[in-house]
Amino acid sequence: MATPVTNTPEQTHAPSSARLYGMIAEFETPGDLLHAAEKVRDEGYRWWDCHTPFAVHGLDGAMGIKRTWLPVCVFIAGATGTTAAFLLQAFTNSWSFSVWAGVWVTGYPFQVSGKPAMSLPAFIPVIFELTILFSALACVFLMFLFNGLPRHYHPLFKSARFRRATNDRFFISIEAKDPKFLPKKTEEFLRSLNPVAVEAVED
Amino acid sequence: MGHPSTHADISGKNIELPAVALNFRKLAIGLAVIGLGGGAAVGYTGAFGTTAHHFWHSYLIAFLFGLTMCLGGLFFVFVQHLVRAGWSVAVRRPAEALAANLRWIWILFVPFAVLWFMGKANVVWIWADMETLKANNEAEWTIVVAKTGFLNPTFFWIRALVYFATWAILASFFFKNSIAQDESGDRSLSSKMGKWAGPSAILFGLTTSAAAFDWIMSLSPAWFSTMFGVYFFCGCATAGFATMILITVRLTHLGALKGIVTREHFQDMGKLMWAFGIVFWAYIAFSQYMLIWYANIPEETGWFLARQVGEWGPFSFALIAGHFVVPFLALLSKWMKRAPLTLAIGAVWMLCFHYVDLYWLIMPEVPSDLGNFSKYAEMSAKYADEATHFTNPVNFLLVFGVVGAVAAGTLGTLSRVSLLPKKDPRLNESLRFENM
Repeated sequence: MATPVTNTPEQTHAPSSARLYGMIAEFETPGDLLHAAEKVRDEGYRWWDCHTPFAVHGLDGAMGIKRTWLPVCVFIAGATGTTAAFLLQAFTNSWSFSVWAGVWVTGYPFQVSGKPAMSLPAFIPVIFELTILFSALACVFLMFLFNGLPRHYHPLFKSARFRRATNDRFFISIEAKDPKFLPKKTEEFLRSLNPVAVEAVED
Repeated sequence: MGHPSTHADISGKNIELPAVALNFRKLAIGLAVIGLGGGAAVGYTGAFGTTAHHFWHSYLIAFLFGLTMCLGGLFFVFVQHLVRAGWSVAVRRPAEALAANLRWIWILFVPFAVLWFMGKANVVWIWADMETLKANNEAEWTIVVAKTGFLNPTFFWIRALVYFATWAILASFFFKNSIAQDESGDRSLSSKMGKWAGPSAILFGLTTSAAAFDWIMSLSPAWFSTMFGVYFFCGCATAGFATMILITVRLTHLGALKGIVTREHFQDMGKLMWAFGIVFWAYIAFSQYMLIWYANIPEETGWFLARQVGEWGPFSFALIAGHFVVPFLALLSKWMKRAPLTLAIGAVWMLCFHYVDLYWLIMPEVPSDLGNFSKYAEMSAKYADEATHFTNPVNFLLVFGVVGAVAAGTLGTLSRVSLLPKKDPRLNESLRFENM
């Protein structure tokens, strides 16, 4: 945290905008991080996270992360794609119906080499493609949504120390909004995990 | 969970075939003798209304069922070397032992040579006797006669020799080098196998495709499909992965490979079976169907018409449901693939439907008078009584006989070697393997 060199009159008058965001602890190896994460999990913290330069095997278990609902959502999206593709083709090729018993709605039935209008084999490629499309889009965008992305600002980026999370260091951050968070106690607790350093981060 | 070190015991009893499995080997030998002997007796006496045509087709199905299991094992082994996979080392030995059966599996093909020698080969492959074919179905003969440069007995048997020799050489190459590494721990053996995995893949692709053309596609010699080799390869992958899963699940159940083969490995083998045996199968089977369906050329559609008339209609739908729809949904979730019990049930299911698939490929006969009908309804009415004869006991006797022989061969191999490539340089990676 850079301290201001000079205090301008405006700044002294303004109430301190710095609000404690949370605490970070820095570790040197993935192994240290895993052990520390298990302890944070067992301590009962809920608003906390691990930050690593690469995927660390077993971290989900060490953090006690619950099973994600994403696969279920993707399955439902895929099934929607299947149904939509079938209905779209069935309607445009062979169905017609009346709306409010007045308006006659019809698709665009077209004879192709003597095949019946409702030819399932011809529909399957489109059904397949739409199933994949719906699943893939749902998978990517729901993943974004569940992860709170896109996010253009994060208080942790204010910490110069934290920059090494993308290079060679491993971090645990505990947010101040966690019900168990007490600045003194949390700092003591993080120090007990034998990190390289502990730092308070302000927003 | 989460600790990158492993304490798996990779010595002694933990990597030896449990004694109980040797009792199972005796059972397998008994099954082979009773199955093949009983099947031959039924075929000879014609019990249960078994015709020579049905018997030989049924034997071809049974033979190919056993063969595809072993070819699937070989496919798994060389692909792991090809991509230098680390995760699979713990489960590679059962696949190697399965593939090692390819050294003797040609023996099961000898009955066809005898049949040929007796001059009755046209019971199975109608092109083997062109005179009779001309007398029975001149329209088909005019098409097939143009193919005799490829479809003639001499070339057929030369090719068969080439296939069996190629498979035997490939299987023993990977098996022997892997066993040699168990003793020496020589890392260069891994590089050597990796180097030859590429050429092996090419040879495997060419021989299995051509074998599928020779042994299955030429049953209806006028018909052709460029997708057929891939279809057969897909059957190999289905049978191979399902068998591997069953072997490893059973071994861990008997207490071997404790801490070595974990749920992580089951999940990955399950993924392979799901991807190749279920999704890929549906993909290529449908690709083959759709091209023929929309082109609507009589010499191509006859093959599918034969699989729609009479009992074959429901049989075809059962195949789609059992080989794709049901297992696709059942094994979609990773939890189903991680639990040994559900995965093993899935593997047994896939083996059953792999048999149904082969039966569907081999047993139906294309009606010889298709050209006489102008309407589909007339044709399907005439052949409405077409029966599949699927429940004829000779089918089960023969397939259990061949499976018994393959099981006895596999267990015999596994009883002589360790169940784990214990000095493979990538073994540690496999023991620590975790899916994300």
